[in-house]
Amino acid sequence: MSLPTRPLTLTINGTQHGPIDVPEGMMMIDVLHEMLGLTGSRFGCGQGICHACVVIWDRDERHSETVPTCITGADFFDGKRIRTIEGIAQRDQKGEVTALSPVQQAFLDQFSFQCGYCTPGFVNAATVLIERLGRAPIARQDVEATVAAALESHICRCTGYVRYYAAVRDLILATPGLTRDSV
Amino acid sequence: MDGLRPSRRQVLRASLIGGIAVYLAPLGGRAYAALFGDGGLSRPAWNSRDSTLKYRIDGISKVTGEKVFARDIRARDMPHWPQQQGHALVLRVTKADRPYAGFDLSLLDPDLTPDRVVTAADLARDRLVFPAFYGDDMLLPEGQIPAYLGQAVAILIYKDFVRFRFAKYKLQFNNTIVRYNEPGAPLERDPWGSSRFVRVAGPDPAAEDVFSPVKQGSISPTYRNHQPVWPEPARDGEVGPQGMYFANAIAQELAEPPPDWLVLRRDYATQSGDTAALEPDNANGWYDRDREELHLVVASQSPQEIAENAASMLAASKIGLKRLFLHPCFTVGYGSKDHYNTPYYGLVAAIYGDGVPIRLANDRFEQFQTSLKRHQFDMHYAMAVDRKTGVMQTFQAEIIANGGGRANCSVDLTMAGATQAQSIYYFPKSDIAATAIASRAVDCGAARGFGAVETITATELMVDEIASELGLDPIEFRLRNVMKTGMRTTQGAIPDGISRAEAVLQRAQAHPLWTQRPARKFAYQAAHPGKYYGVGFAACHRRFGIGLEASFAKVELAPDGTISLAHTAAEIGTGTSSAQAVACGRWLGRPADLVELAVTDWPELPVETSAGSLNVDESEQNRLAANPRWTPNLATASSGSNSSYYFTHTTRAAARLVFQHGLWPAALAIWGKSSNSSAPSIDSARWSDGALTAPDMKGLDVRELAAHAHASGFVTGATVHAFNRWRWAEADFEIDGRTERLPLDGLSLRNGEGGYTVLDRRNVFYPSPRSMDAMVSTYTITAALAELTVDAATGQVALLNHHNIVECGNLLVPELVSGQIQGGAATGIGLALSEYLPLYEEGPGDGTWNFNRYVLPRGNDVAVWTQTADVLPPLSEDEPPKSMAEAAGIPITAAIVNAIAHAIEHRFRTLPVTPDKILAVLG
Repeated sequence: MSLPTRPLTLTINGTQHGPIDVPEGMMMIDVLHEMLGLTGSRFGCGQGICHACVVIWDRDERHSETVPTCITGADFFDGKRIRTIEGIAQRDQKGEVTALSPVQQAFLDQFSFQCGYCTPGFVNAATVLIERLGRAPIARQDVEATVAAALESHICRCTGYVRYYAAVRDLILATPGLTRDSV
Repeated sequence: MDGLRPSRRQVLRASLIGGIAVYLAPLGGRAYAALFGDGGLSRPAWNSRDSTLKYRIDGISKVTGEKVFARDIRARDMPHWPQQQGHALVLRVTKADRPYAGFDLSLLDPDLTPDRVVTAADLARDRLVFPAFYGDDMLLPEGQIPAYLGQAVAILIYKDFVRFRFAKYKLQFNNTIVRYNEPGAPLERDPWGSSRFVRVAGPDPAAEDVFSPVKQGSISPTYRNHQPVWPEPARDGEVGPQGMYFANAIAQELAEPPPDWLVLRRDYATQSGDTAALEPDNANGWYDRDREELHLVVASQSPQEIAENAASMLAASKIGLKRLFLHPCFTVGYGSKDHYNTPYYGLVAAIYGDGVPIRLANDRFEQFQTSLKRHQFDMHYAMAVDRKTGVMQTFQAEIIANGGGRANCSVDLTMAGATQAQSIYYFPKSDIAATAIASRAVDCGAARGFGAVETITATELMVDEIASELGLDPIEFRLRNVMKTGMRTTQGAIPDGISRAEAVLQRAQAHPLWTQRPARKFAYQAAHPGKYYGVGFAACHRRFGIGLEASFAKVELAPDGTISLAHTAAEIGTGTSSAQAVACGRWLGRPADLVELAVTDWPELPVETSAGSLNVDESEQNRLAANPRWTPNLATASSGSNSSYYFTHTTRAAARLVFQHGLWPAALAIWGKSSNSSAPSIDSARWSDGALTAPDMKGLDVRELAAHAHASGFVTGATVHAFNRWRWAEADFEIDGRTERLPLDGLSLRNGEGGYTVLDRRNVFYPSPRSMDAMVSTYTITAALAELTVDAATGQVALLNHHNIVECGNLLVPELVSGQIQGGAATGIGLALSEYLPLYEEGPGDGTWNFNRYVLPRGNDVAVWTQTADVLPPLSEDEPPKSMAEAAGIPITAAIVNAIAHAIEHRFRTLPVTPDKILAVLG
């Protein structure tokens, strides 16, 4: 095969991967799915529209954001640290889930999803939001608008969004340090 | 790769179809965990005090991103498959008005040349043809005009991902690859089907009809120039001519109505659409030529259908095959993965994989190009109402549904739409003609709502307009015409149970959104210049089931009290696994601990059916039913409308038998009341905090009961089969020396630790095949109020609030019902305001459609923080749960369009109502 490749080295869920020879132009979702066996970041549209495929890019200790992997080339992630849905819950050495994250637990408790295909994207977006609010709390009356802004780009086709949004809102309001009284 | 070891095969169980052993393969290991439950389903977390489920039992696997979808599975996840994973892509036509003339892959660099190209010639040589249901030309031969846009012409197989991926980059969206001869004309074909449903009532709504589909039959046409030609009318003729006599009389009366009648004629149109199931269609298969085995991972709402058709297809081919292993997974489809053709393309790709597992997985462009679509409907309605009383007199409708290039379920869906078009209203006279046409549009299927969302939306828009013409409040007008218990449908059938449509309307009428509608409109518009405010209402009745419902269920109790459930139902995201687990609790005190769904082989209960057995007449049915192992239908596909009621029936029937003949005698024995005349009645038994009690008896834990039942040889397992043709088949079974009549047509029981014993039925009472003429007998009633604004400058509609009212019997899992209401509403909002696909050359068949053009509602479009719902309490604790997943999505569509009419005083009759259409009206 004569397709040009580039080495890719990155940290996924705390584990370093690579260098992997990745053909130039390959999208990150293909690397996750076909090379690394991490299929939890769901392919939905291939256009960066539905956001089922987003992963968390930890830029530094204080800045994280979601990135759609279906339209982002693998080479973008070279040298970066990301979290995928497989790394959100706590797991033991066998990879078995030992504790869900607060966001995952909230989605579970509120029956937020049905088919669950969009769930990883919502988990990652909500996780980034919760972490951000932990660093920069917001007024309680702004919670709903903040949640709506954070989740607006995600498509859910089964449950009509209500239980995702409500789960994140309630989690924020119940978690000390994420909100402040209005001024 | 060592293949399946013989020892492992021995624990698998097969059904033999066409000489091929078909296995639902519990493979074990990682694939088993991913596919069949160990990793996918956790034990239900159960609040014993209030009998509620803490979370859905597939919840942890889904929220942690486990491999639960067929799309997640690769060869490496299947322990006995070769590790190498190949991939396939399908070349498809984007023109359907000219002959296909081959394809040209010369633009591919040599490195990207496919390892194998499969064409119609290969399939012809190997006698691989679609199952009859899917039509001709699985791959289109050169020289033929495509039947529809997006029809497949070749499968390109790559034995690795990278070359596949980059070849696809080159080929996709390139219109020079597939070649055509000179333009001609699209194929013209007769409609997929037509029927006409005429009813003339007797002197009152419950009296015997003069003429109706149930009494005499529906009317079938012949075809001339691809148009239906109805029989010549004759008062004393056969069903067709006689029905047309009454149809003509209805038409004449509408043309020359009594002076007090208002006759309104309107045309409505709903759009073609995509179900937008987020998991795109896919399959992954491995053909082991040496062992003559085919292994297929599929996403399907109807695994039984695949098992039967795939085996039959392969049995008729020249491909050597002894065994077919089918692995259905959790999926989501909203109808688009029910009887769809992707599994068969996946099967063919695997056959030509040269020993390498081949994965066929649509991207979203391909999904739009190929997945089963929502039918586009044109509806020409006429309705007559007595102006003095506001009472409806006549409903006449011509309904045309565009079924696209393959028949699929178009006829059934169109007729389902036609026979529900009356919505919740009673008409003394009706004439509803419906035709499912063939066209070059992408195939259509059982999209959410199954025809009812289209026809009922049109009715609800018309009802609002008539109310306006009469100067009546729209809900008051509806109340004057609502179907009440005992009234007949447009089929002449009397629906089962007590109608609660009136109660639903009354709830809506009393809601503040409705009672304050004038004041709110005034206040909002005064406070928001440039905004129009409106509140709209609509209702619906949605049938659930298809009239041919069938399922198996097995409930077993282990000596340690573990409850396990197996069922033919598939999990399609609606929560079937959780709901069916919970359904066991009614009899066994808590939900099933272990749930296995999509089970296709039932060695415990060897029920059989026969080709065409669903279409036999009554005498032939009686002849076939003499075989105590025969049933008209083995299992129906899972949909949003058949789980709660129909699938729960078999689950509960099996659980009840285990209780009645296992746990209860065990309890009596432990209480020392087995042969005691003072023994408590079984009717007095109750589960409380996980213990079985009866008056003056101590509570018994299910583990103690289970251990005793096993030790005593009582019933510890029941496998049942049931069939429903708008009524349950019943049969007599001898259990413990006594004959019981049960709503089942197949039963086997396990006693203690023993094996299963089939209890052949003694008498069976199948509903007459004529009862299919009723088309509908089980309904869920829903209604919606929508509050919105229209921006005068942009034409944008903003939904401020909506309130949904649902009656659906006893709830199995209230949170799932709530989620279904909210999700259904979102679907209806999309249909009302944004979702749209052109049918033909500019539509999805060209392979360029995606979510950038097909606009789905987002969280901020659905009144996410304000919407509310009101579920009517059940009539009694014994009222069965009613399926409502599809019903919840129907009324909101018309409610929104009616609200727009309230806002801007213009009635739209074509969906979706987009900002450009609104601006065109507002000027």
